[in-house]
Amino acid sequence: MIELENVSKAFGGYAALSNISLKVERGDMAFVTGPSGAGKTTLFKLLYLAEKPDEGTITIAGCNVADVKSSYIPLLRRNIGVVFQDFKLLNNKTVYDNIALTLRIRGFMEREIKERVHSVLKMVNLRHKVDNYPLTLSGGEQQRITIARSIVGEPTVMLADEPTGNLDEENEKEIMRIFKQINAKGTTILIATHNRALFRNTARKVFTLEGGMLRGEEE
Amino acid sequence: MFSLRLALQSIFKDKWMNFLSMLSIGVMLFILVSVAIIVYNVERLTARLPERLTVMVMLKEGVAGEEIKAAQAVIKAEPAVKAVTFVSKERAMEDLKRSFKKDDFILKGFGENPLFDSFDVKIKSEGVHIDEVKRLIQKIKSMKGVDDVEYGEALMDSLYALKSGMRALGLSIGIVFVCSVTFICYTTVKILFYRHKDEIEVYKLLGATRWFVRAPFFIEGSIIGILGGMIGSGMLMGLYQYFIRRLIADIPMFAFMSIPLQFMYMLPVAGMLLGLGGSVLALGRLKY
Ligand SMILES: Nc1ncnc2c1ncn2[C@@H]1O[C@H](COP(=O)(O)OP(=O)(O)O)[C@@H](O)[C@H]1O
Ligand SMILES: [Mg+2]
Repeated sequence: MIELENVSKAFGGYAALSNISLKVERGDMAFVTGPSGAGKTTLFKLLYLAEKPDEGTITIAGCNVADVKSSYIPLLRRNIGVVFQDFKLLNNKTVYDNIALTLRIRGFMEREIKERVHSVLKMVNLRHKVDNYPLTLSGGEQQRITIARSIVGEPTVMLADEPTGNLDEENEKEIMRIFKQINAKGTTILIATHNRALFRNTARKVFTLEGGMLRGEEE
Repeated sequence: MFSLRLALQSIFKDKWMNFLSMLSIGVMLFILVSVAIIVYNVERLTARLPERLTVMVMLKEGVAGEEIKAAQAVIKAEPAVKAVTFVSKERAMEDLKRSFKKDDFILKGFGENPLFDSFDVKIKSEGVHIDEVKRLIQKIKSMKGVDDVEYGEALMDSLYALKSGMRALGLSIGIVFVCSVTFICYTTVKILFYRHKDEIEVYKLLGATRWFVRAPFFIEGSIIGILGGMIGSGMLMGLYQYFIRRLIADIPMFAFMSIPLQFMYMLPVAGMLLGLGGSVLALGRLKY
């Protein structure tokens, strides 16, 4: 489902990722870990086509990223649900509209949008915040809204970048429960985290990055 | 539908900037249409000119009767010609005498009749272009037996020059203002686009197509154009109601002025097309 072969990416001479090869099978829940600055976010950006690799080939959801025509990029992105590390919520839109946007972009009918948005808000326990604006929410709440937005389109692959970075232990467990639930439905999930406790008893596969290099791969 | 809503929201959010754009578009379209009206009226005026024109064809001395008849027939056959009357030099003399009445002693000084045979050529009033009249005159001039052709040359030439001058002026003003209106829409949409840049980035990351991202801006550009056109129409209406009507009432000379009402409907449509054009130019090369 996700495959990288000898992928490198540098920003102005600084190698953010060097010679990375890894593979995540369909239906897997895998983790990328490593200290801050290790290149986790960069790896994700390559996967959702916000950055291009300098070298190597990337395959995601059955597409070789290098061969994807620019008109096809949106369609590919609809198959990838992303929990952005910096949320990327629109502060001038309500929680409802932020989540609904994913579906409006796909041309869903308003009735179905409403149904789906309420159902994902229920999953992240934020139904009562449906009419709030992002900036009136706590960091943890914003993070859960971002997660809700990433799953509302029912993607085949989920990329979650530090999805529990702002959450207390209680919420962390809740989010991991949601990810497992989604994973059980067949969605492939890749989670980046610097918090090793997160995958201590759930991980099937853990990739460890350090200074842009793949240090280890555990099953 | 969602695009339309986004467009409307965006217009209201930056209402002052958008209003200023609409206002400038309105003023420009108004000036544009005023020039069009002036050109239109000059055209109308000159189009009816040949009808007032009498062309006098002076014949050479001693041209035979058959030749005169033949020439008359040829001229008559011209599509622009309504009537050709032959005026012999004797007739011309009588006319002249009649106009001098009792003072005809002046004419007695001439021994022989100094006048000449001629044709009076009347031009058709409808659908004759000035160019055609000019061509006709050139043709008659080159005919055998014709000495010279006399017509309101100076008047016609100056009107002709005025007309082509107006046309050139109208065309250049037209081009300049069409470009300006497009440019205003282009700039407005570009600014709106940059204001929403972060938002658009998120749209794209969530899988929005190029079309989905651009549609609200196209709609916005069109709406700004339409409203600008309406402002222009309003000004035109105002000009007509409060200025031209009074002008016509006070100075009959301007009675020929006419403002085709189609312009009022055309302005918003023109505004919309230019607005759309401007936004397409602004976002046409939006890349992914
Ligand atoms: N757009 C960029 N321009 C320059 N340097 C960047 C850019 N993005 C990331 N980097 C650098 O690449 C390295 C890896 O960053 P990142 O992938 O965000 O790490 P992580 O998510 O693991 O904390 C960092 O040193 C960062 O400064
Ligand atoms: Mg990161």
